[in-house]
Amino acid sequence: MSTLRNVAFVGFAQLPVVARDEHRMATEMLYPVVVDALRQVGASRDDIDYQVSASTDYMDGRPFGFVAALDVMGSWPARQDLHLEMDGSFAAYYAWVKIQTGEVDTAIVCTHGKTSEGEPERVFNLQLEPYYHAPIGIGPTASAALQASAYMARTGTTDADLAARAARNRAAGVGNSDNQVRDAASAQQLQGSPWAIEPLRSGYVPPIGETATCLVMAAEGKAEKLCDRPVWIQGVDHRAELQTLGSRDLTRSAGTALAAKKALAMANVGSARDVDLVELLSVTPVEELILLDALGLDAAASTPVVNPSGGPLCAHPIMSTGSIRLGEAFRQLSGRAGDRGVAGAKRAIAHGAQGHCLQQNIVWVLGTEKRWA
Amino acid sequence: MKRPTAVVGVGQTQHAARRADLSIPGLIREAVDRALLDAGLGHDDIDAIVIGKAPDMLEGIAQPEQFLVGALGGHMKPVIRVHTAGSVGASTAIAAMTHVASGLYDRILTVAFEKQSEGNAMWALSPNMPFTPPLVAGAGGFFAPYCRAYIQKTGCPPHIGPVTAANARANGARNPYAHLREPMSVEDVMNSPVLWDPIRYGETCPSSDGAIALVIANEETAKKGPRKPAWIKGAASYAEAMWVPGRDQVSPSAGKICAKHVYEQAGIQDPWNDIQTAEIYVPFAWFEAMWLENLGFCDEGEGWKIIDRGEQKFGAHLPINPSGGVLCSNPIGASGMLRLGEAALQVMGRAGEHQVDGVRNALGHAYGGGAQYFAMWVVGTEL
Repeated sequence: MSTLRNVAFVGFAQLPVVARDEHRMATEMLYPVVVDALRQVGASRDDIDYQVSASTDYMDGRPFGFVAALDVMGSWPARQDLHLEMDGSFAAYYAWVKIQTGEVDTAIVCTHGKTSEGEPERVFNLQLEPYYHAPIGIGPTASAALQASAYMARTGTTDADLAARAARNRAAGVGNSDNQVRDAASAQQLQGSPWAIEPLRSGYVPPIGETATCLVMAAEGKAEKLCDRPVWIQGVDHRAELQTLGSRDLTRSAGTALAAKKALAMANVGSARDVDLVELLSVTPVEELILLDALGLDAAASTPVVNPSGGPLCAHPIMSTGSIRLGEAFRQLSGRAGDRGVAGAKRAIAHGAQGHCLQQNIVWVLGTEKRWA
Repeated sequence: MKRPTAVVGVGQTQHAARRADLSIPGLIREAVDRALLDAGLGHDDIDAIVIGKAPDMLEGIAQPEQFLVGALGGHMKPVIRVHTAGSVGASTAIAAMTHVASGLYDRILTVAFEKQSEGNAMWALSPNMPFTPPLVAGAGGFFAPYCRAYIQKTGCPPHIGPVTAANARANGARNPYAHLREPMSVEDVMNSPVLWDPIRYGETCPSSDGAIALVIANEETAKKGPRKPAWIKGAASYAEAMWVPGRDQVSPSAGKICAKHVYEQAGIQDPWNDIQTAEIYVPFAWFEAMWLENLGFCDEGEGWKIIDRGEQKFGAHLPINPSGGVLCSNPIGASGMLRLGEAALQVMGRAGEHQVDGVRNALGHAYGGGAQYFAMWVVGTEL
């Protein structure tokens, strides 16, 4: 790998995730977040060279939902811009690529989405192949349940194992005021929760919630001026897989494994075991286990710390969930995580994903030190 | 730090009202296979995929790139999905170029498509905005006032729209891929019904099924390739807010800023003389005069005069949309990339019957949203 520009996350803002923000449209939710992010870095919008937004029209319930976001992102005069119909983690990736060209030094990456205005199970059924797959009527929870069945059959993982894993996330999430679910639940309680879709219980799937987020990114030279403790991108890679549920091994995440291999190599880090914490976009405990396996991590090990934020089981605002993983890694590595801070954390992996059963995955290796001299 | 980039392969489908012979993956494959063949490359040579399309409501599939990963050859590769309204085809190609310019990737396959026969474009393009009365009038109803404002502001005479539309059809007749290839006289257009005053039926783009794929590569690949590449000399995507008091919707500042940035990168000082042909996004005929001004080919208020003098015709000083443009083929999500791809074909000297003589620099342009999104590039024969 040749020498790249050192680029850092220097700010992150989000609204606390709620089931339904009754009185605000998506753009009204995004505006204060952009203001907050810029305030954190002490910059005006004119100081930022580039913007990327991430959202999906089907969740906005109308075409061109992202166009309205231009107004609240401060797009006047006109800004260099791109909108991705993807989770925010992928939008941040594109901003990083753009900064690598040397044409821009700074960027904001915004996400929005009002999940409460639709029914995600029905909306995301429409992601599936339209001729044979979508008409079956399965939504993301049903496909996650198929994945869970296959995983449990292959590995012998039990209902109690899943409950324990979910309980760990819930315990971690108590202190995170941005979480939608903030009450701890014991493994026993979660194992007693009703089936969402067997073998997934309601305690093993995320609440439906909404928020807006804004990440601020900057290249070396600018980053140090915008943030006392910039969190540097040391490696990143993303991969897509075939969607068809029967065409890939749902019990493994080959895309994550390859992305992790590439990102760790870029970061010159030997193994995912060498990081202090991992934030995963795992929407079920089964996905968490699959991702840990893909990263080469032992699920029973106490380090690295997994999902110190509480993870998506405590808040899963679709389209923003990947940005929140990056945001949490930023907070952890820049000393902004408060009581849930992982002591002495110097390096983190932030994972993002979208599509049914982890179809598309991105792996970031972030650290307190610059990667390239 | 930015590395030189070039278009090394172009592939497009036959555009038609309804490609009933193909599924959506089939439509993608028709374009992708042609682009790879054109570039002399295979899927193994491609590092990543950047795909774009207009609103997912057009086909009724949410984030369809996810089910199209196989058709794109994207399994175990990075796949990025762009959506910037009507400009999306152009901003997608530029995002692909950015991947190469960054030095992170050497060869990107970029694809844009729309299969409008799968849905209802009038419905899909009639957004129901909060606190705004729904027009339910599609893009034509939305943009007709922009055209009226232009006419009022510049004194553009009533025959300019029909002349533009007739010229587009004359051009489209030379393009074997075009959806509408039947010639149409100025009188025919004049006699067609008004859909949204002042826009007549004959001045309106069709609703098409179609796709285009480009291979964008680094300097080394471009120089080794089987064909002459189209060097990307300047490219940018800009967007501006909608609700700004005093925003000029007829000649938006975002378009001017974007063009200025692209011309600076490309070393274009005098667009009228330094650029030999332009593929610009004209979904309704009146926009051709409007964009000629916005893109700096003439002063404000002078755009319609270029058309009145016939200087935009094939064989004249600055042929505009020699492919027939959006008025002859409009698979919405692909229309912007078709403009950029056609510009590339012109500098490669491979536009066939609609090849313009002596092209050194060509402009490809698209816009979208409420004339808020602009994406364009200048491609040239020399690096």
